[in-house]
Amino acid sequence: VLIAMGLLLLVAGSAIGLFHAPGEEHMGDVQRIMYVHVPTAWNAMLAFTWAFFCALAVLWRGSWRWDARLEAGIEVGVVLAALLCMQGSIWARPTWGVWWDWDPRLTTTAVLLFAFIAILALRHFVDDAARRATWSAVATVVAYADVPLVYFSVRWWNSLHQMQSTPQTVSSAFHLPLRVNAFGVLFLMCGLIALRARLAQMRLREELAPPPVAAMPARGLAVEAAR
Amino acid sequence: MSAPSGVIVGGWEYVWAAYSVTAAILLGYTASLIARYRGERRKAARGGAPEVTS
Repeated sequence: VLIAMGLLLLVAGSAIGLFHAPGEEHMGDVQRIMYVHVPTAWNAMLAFTWAFFCALAVLWRGSWRWDARLEAGIEVGVVLAALLCMQGSIWARPTWGVWWDWDPRLTTTAVLLFAFIAILALRHFVDDAARRATWSAVATVVAYADVPLVYFSVRWWNSLHQMQSTPQTVSSAFHLPLRVNAFGVLFLMCGLIALRARLAQMRLREELAPPPVAAMPARGLAVEAAR
Repeated sequence: MSAPSGVIVGGWEYVWAAYSVTAAILLGYTASLIARYRGERRKAARGGAPEVTS
């Protein structure tokens, strides 16, 4: 339901942004990229924030359920952050004249993306489930330190990138498509994280389950997997 | 020759490119996730993880 609602809102918000909202004074029609770029940025940061809290829960409570949620948050965050970089690159070409620049905002975002890709790789290569959970939770807490740097980079350093887009810094004519798409990506992100967490939990249950009964010693074994 | 106005004219190809990439990635990831989830459910239904033994 969340995924369907998110997609519907995104279609509606994009239609308003493309065909109804006015062009910006200096950037003209190119500014319409903002209606997908900014909601993607907000929700990528939210997904990583969710992963951060899941990582703390894993370290504090040692729960498999939180480990599954952590994996989901990281993967969805990586998808959104990768999309964010692509959208930004497409927007940069007509406005800055380059596809990419080692500007503080872009650099810190790229570092964030690659840090979380590395954590996904770490989870892929560690076979022991308990170690995988602990190591990836610690790595997530460390990598999350980059999120405030991404956010404040446009204030702290000279940046080509504009200041953060908020209702105060964006003309009121642009609010509606921006808000509709922001909720669209938010619903979609929540639905995807929930689905991905269920998938991770099913895999964990399978991984932690005891071998088939025939291969077990004579006495049975009760295991509560992935709980 | 007039000086550049500082206003970007046109650029719809970039707008369509950004929206197309967004649609492709979000729909592609959603579809792949649903497919992976269904595959895992089928696997579990075929006799995946045992329930409980005593």
